[in-house]
Amino acid sequence: MRIMKIKLLLFTFIFGLAISSCQELELQPKGILGEPELFGTAFGVQKYFVQLYMNLPIEDFIYYADQGYKPGNNNSWQAYKRSLAGMSGEIYGWNVNMFEAGVGYWPYDYIRIVNVFINNFPNYKDKYDVATYNSLMGEARFLRAFFYQGMAKRYGGVPIITEVQDPVTTSAEELQVSRASESDTWKFIYDDLKFAMENMSETSVSGRANKFVAAALMSRSMLYAGRIAKYTQYLGFDADEAMQGGFIGMDPSKANEFFQYAYDAGLFVETGPYALYTNNYPDKASNFANLFLDKSSSENLFVKGYDAITFGHCYDALMSPNPDFSSFIGAEGGPVLQHMQLYDFPSLIDEQGKPVRFDKRSDIKNDMEPRLQGTCYFDGDELRGKKFDIQRGIYVSYTGTAEDAQSGSNAAPINSAANRKLGNKGQKYNNVLITGNHGMFANKGGENNAFMGAFIRKYIDVNLPTNLVKVNKSSTSWIVFRLGEIYLNTAEAGYELGKRTEAFNYVEAIRERAGCKVTLPAIDQTVSNTYGYPIEAGLQFIRDERGRELYCENHYWWDLKTWRIADQVLNNRYHRALTCYYVFDEGKYIYLDEVNRNNRTVTAPKRAAYERIPQGEINKNPKLLPQNPLY
Amino acid sequence: MKNILYLILAVTLLSFAACQEIDNWDEPSARLFGNVIDEYTNHNLLMDNNDWQIRIIDRTWENNNPGTVAQFQPLAVMRDGVYNNSKLFSGIYDMLPYDGPFWPVDTVKGIILDKETQQNFTVKPYLQLTNFTATLDGTNLTLSCNVKAPIVTDLPNLYEVKGFLSLTTFCGNSNYINIGEYNNLRKSINKTWAAEVGAADSKDYTLGPFPVKSGYTYYVRIGANVNALSRRYNYTEIVKVVVP
Repeated sequence: MRIMKIKLLLFTFIFGLAISSCQELELQPKGILGEPELFGTAFGVQKYFVQLYMNLPIEDFIYYADQGYKPGNNNSWQAYKRSLAGMSGEIYGWNVNMFEAGVGYWPYDYIRIVNVFINNFPNYKDKYDVATYNSLMGEARFLRAFFYQGMAKRYGGVPIITEVQDPVTTSAEELQVSRASESDTWKFIYDDLKFAMENMSETSVSGRANKFVAAALMSRSMLYAGRIAKYTQYLGFDADEAMQGGFIGMDPSKANEFFQYAYDAGLFVETGPYALYTNNYPDKASNFANLFLDKSSSENLFVKGYDAITFGHCYDALMSPNPDFSSFIGAEGGPVLQHMQLYDFPSLIDEQGKPVRFDKRSDIKNDMEPRLQGTCYFDGDELRGKKFDIQRGIYVSYTGTAEDAQSGSNAAPINSAANRKLGNKGQKYNNVLITGNHGMFANKGGENNAFMGAFIRKYIDVNLPTNLVKVNKSSTSWIVFRLGEIYLNTAEAGYELGKRTEAFNYVEAIRERAGCKVTLPAIDQTVSNTYGYPIEAGLQFIRDERGRELYCENHYWWDLKTWRIADQVLNNRYHRALTCYYVFDEGKYIYLDEVNRNNRTVTAPKRAAYERIPQGEINKNPKLLPQNPLY
Repeated sequence: MKNILYLILAVTLLSFAACQEIDNWDEPSARLFGNVIDEYTNHNLLMDNNDWQIRIIDRTWENNNPGTVAQFQPLAVMRDGVYNNSKLFSGIYDMLPYDGPFWPVDTVKGIILDKETQQNFTVKPYLQLTNFTATLDGTNLTLSCNVKAPIVTDLPNLYEVKGFLSLTTFCGNSNYINIGEYNNLRKSINKTWAAEVGAADSKDYTLGPFPVKSGYTYYVRIGANVNALSRRYNYTEIVKVVVP
């Protein structure tokens, strides 16, 4: 009884203490960083900017053509099954579908975060010296421009928001902002980047921008804007409401202004400490391949880093065949022959139209541009201690021309089952292996099956051992801007401005490094009408040079779009394959140009020039109408 | 156990009581129909199934709900140039035939839809395809026709002339034998009318020979388009070809 009483007293006492302990409830939580902490020091600003850098619209290893940007580590592994390179016809693999309507990219949440900084940072000006303050402010403007160019290249004109809107006190009427014209949108991006170029510092840590990075973005964006101004008129959208309102397209007379901005930005980048990567000379093929692996490359202006610990990606696991080179499902795509033939490529047929005979399969590389060898793996190339081994089948004999094979059709007489032997791994015809170790197998799907006759080498991390080639274990950085691209931007803008000689000097520098046979071709001013508008052969050469140098770097789709030719180049286009056969009675090898085994094609509709303004946003803000053409 | 049963019963009863207000909208029952007529022939436009649409915008919705913006809904047009939709709300509509193979037309505003309304549209096709012939020589099929541009001024680039072969009576860009052997036989042009045809207003095109299989029945036609909007085709009529 007595013990009970003591217990009761004790409980009452403790209970009393407990409820009296929180008298003051209005306390600042100590774990949350407020504006003074974040904006008051350079470290705080760095922390604030991290969320913006993480979410910049960079189409890298983890960009999905159908789902968009998936920053962080929770992106599943399939990005390179549904890549932009697959959509633009550069690689052939699991996905050849067109997602021209876009991914609903609408980053006004991040733009708001930048705007908070731009509006409130002046309150903390006294805490910084002038240079640091200006540099941080310039960085914010660079970030905002980056988000806007991510939208402008998709939608044309978008609402321009520079003030932070308060959704509580503002009326819906004011919150709903109309689209600006496309020309104003690009001019807005120009203004932000000009400010950034003038105010940012000259150097920065890897992964963070400086004034030259801002100039690089200027070079790319203004080149896009110039093309849009010059070529939108040929789309036939004139009668469309969005075009008539100026929300898409620009007056062609503005093109030169934008090309000039791009040209000047390119010259500005050249004043920086960058140089084309040449560390591995004289082996120009390895040099080109290493350019994408060497994190200290002098060519990189701005990279998006991965370390395979906090953030990793799956590129290696998806681009080389399992099990010899990958410990995951393996290769999901290969290079398309049309793109390989843009480079210095050996002729597959002789003067009579017969397939050229090779003693070894790897002899195909004898006459090939080093840059292509640095971009793709062919038969006989070595990776992770093993060699690529690619062959489609055996011809018992091949007497006719390459045309007789009818692009690999089973209906061709020469391809009868008695004469053309196709098979699976390990199968033999008269004791000779029918296929290579890595394809092409007759009764297997696309994975790990060299459907295209080669594999991608660009960005493949040769130092990663095969047992580590797994999901999220790749640590190669994505190069957002490199000097090679800037040279080509300047060249194209220059050519459009009539500076043909200067333009080709840049092309020469690129081709010299690439190891091309002819580094400085004659400037051919013949006008052709390939895409329904007049274009000089010299300009087409510069465009093709982008196709070669920037192959598989997720530029080509945006290039096709802004040149306004996506619907013309990707018009029922068959992905063609480089296929190797052993000719049994001669003991030699031939290479044929075949249609991909599934007979698939890629087609971009006319509306691909612009993406669809997301319907959900229009429901919230009807002032975004008119919708872009043909949606 | 009994308690649980009571509980289930109570929840069930409550769920019946949850919706007292009954949806008081009548089902949409107004019918809007009509023809798309080719101005030059006075017949319905030769086209493919649901090739392009008529955009309709319900203005009554906007008037009854101030501050909203009505967006268009597409009405499919059938391959005989007829459209017919019998599940629409009565009201005032704007209508616009959009993205078809004809010169742009103006929006027809203020069409009052009440029970049954017929609205025909007369359009000027970009191209007229006439004198269509399909010649069979063994198992090789050759198609030819005359392509005419009634209006040459400001005509967008002539883009291509393409033969469509189908094994069903549905034949056109939405349903045809889509294989390389046939597609490669199209004439890709993409030039201005003056550059391709010259001063004349029409030109004959012959496509083929298309390799066809004996014992099959094909339905064939030719389509030609200009580089405007989605590049819809102007077609010839469909001809049935029986390969012996």
